[in-house]
Amino acid sequence: MRLSVFGIALAVMAGLSLSAANAQMRPSAAVGGSGIVDVPEKPGYVPSPEEEQLDPAFRRQPVYFRTTEPPGTIIIHTDERFLYLVMGDNRALRYGIGVGRDGFQWSGLQKVSRKAEWPDWTPPPEMIERQPYLPRFMAGGPGNPMGAAALYLGQTVYRIHGTNMPNTIGMAVSSGCFRLVNSDVADLFSRVPVGTKVIIRQAPAL
Amino acid sequence: MKKFAFALAAAGALLSASLAQADTLSEVKARGTLKCGVNQGLDGFSAKDDKGQWTGFDVDLCRAVAAAVLGDAGKVEYVPLSAEARFPALQKGEIDLLSRNSTWTLSREADLKLIFAGVSYYDGQGFLVPIARNINGALELGSAKVCVQAGTTSVLNARDYARQNNLQLEMIELPSVDEVVKSYADGKCDVITTDVSQLYALRLKLPKPADHIVLPDVISKEPLGPVVRQGDDRWLNVVKWSLYALLNAEELGISTATLDQALASEKPDVKRFVGTEGNYGEQLGLGKDWAVLIVKSVGNYGEVFERNIGATSKLGIPRGINQLWSVGGIQYAPPIR
Repeated sequence: MRLSVFGIALAVMAGLSLSAANAQMRPSAAVGGSGIVDVPEKPGYVPSPEEEQLDPAFRRQPVYFRTTEPPGTIIIHTDERFLYLVMGDNRALRYGIGVGRDGFQWSGLQKVSRKAEWPDWTPPPEMIERQPYLPRFMAGGPGNPMGAAALYLGQTVYRIHGTNMPNTIGMAVSSGCFRLVNSDVADLFSRVPVGTKVIIRQAPAL
Repeated sequence: MKKFAFALAAAGALLSASLAQADTLSEVKARGTLKCGVNQGLDGFSAKDDKGQWTGFDVDLCRAVAAAVLGDAGKVEYVPLSAEARFPALQKGEIDLLSRNSTWTLSREADLKLIFAGVSYYDGQGFLVPIARNINGALELGSAKVCVQAGTTSVLNARDYARQNNLQLEMIELPSVDEVVKSYADGKCDVITTDVSQLYALRLKLPKPADHIVLPDVISKEPLGPVVRQGDDRWLNVVKWSLYALLNAEELGISTATLDQALASEKPDVKRFVGTEGNYGEQLGLGKDWAVLIVKSVGNYGEVFERNIGATSKLGIPRGINQLWSVGGIQYAPPIR
């Protein structure tokens, strides 16, 4: 009993600080930069359906998108916090994303090398260093920070995954690569096969 | 009669002489203010805020030009103009620049003797639908009932589009915009069609705006941009390159937040932009820091867009075709070099 009250208090506190960070960090597409906010992971936290309802600007939607890449290609613009799934005929399905520290490190071409639903989570050593209280291993399922699905990119540490913290969508956060709200990552999972081209684009460097 | 003809000819000669010598840039510098024609009130584009200050997407273009020419974005004399009054005001020299959601067409240049300095906003006709219908594009509209304001070009465009694409759209023509919104809200039609910028304004009038989306398809061309008089190429260049500076800034990653970084940058295209290399401002008749002054005052194109009409503003218009050419849109500025 004491534990669960404590847990709720923690979640409420974290929720409060998150929404404050959210208001500041929502990028206006062009401002750019990657002022990364240190948002601690909350393994075990299961978001409410209301929390999973994104701000309209970040909800999955078809948009105008001109590209020479073929339909089925995934294009990620970290600066905008959007992931585009090219549909052809000048349109794409656009998903709102949160970008983690690793997501800002690299641009270029990758391929989806593996797909997994409700993947297990093994926080890498550098994450443990920043947040020592994290578990060394957590089995997949609701409350797992990896969320409902993961798309692994080539042989890299980069991946597109879900999240148990939907209010980090639109933000530059401390950990992970590209996170989508669980319903979106499940949708994307169902649309793209292993072998899908993934293009990652960063803000121009000055 | 003869006398009259002579007087007319003389006046004509005088007029063409004054046109030949038109030097709006020097006039604006001497006067110390820019006279900018704007809309009397259009949410997001041009309107007075609660403190009586003009704000908006079109207003920011006036501010950008004033910043480049006079070093101060505040030195603008706004002239609110109706649709009928806008072009005569420019022709008569009552304003230096018209920045008032005006569509670039052939006759406005060839017949009215005006010239568009570029496209600040690509508008065009689109479709608003409930998200719940789960439609990804206009080709999926099938035999939907479409509410549209009667007597507008929107009716014709939608008919043409339906015919070309084998859609059995049922057009429901209503006398006013308010009735279009009401019929849609009451479920008497499945779709609203008009220009995309207006669809977003109409969406705000619906009980639950977030439950509706504008489809990605744009079926007509309504390119909006700043307008000047013909015969003053130097001034045309100043206005044109002020707009291009906004676009180039965004493409180079130069924003109000990164301006200091840009001033210290070693990248050639960034140095040319901020004036640490070359004399591009001087070539335009402006200072070396002309483009820096623009970004410092209003930000880059993306910042101007987001602040006034973008996804995080009240109107909530996504960048869509107005995104830069390099990231999915068609906004494209020639390079500074």
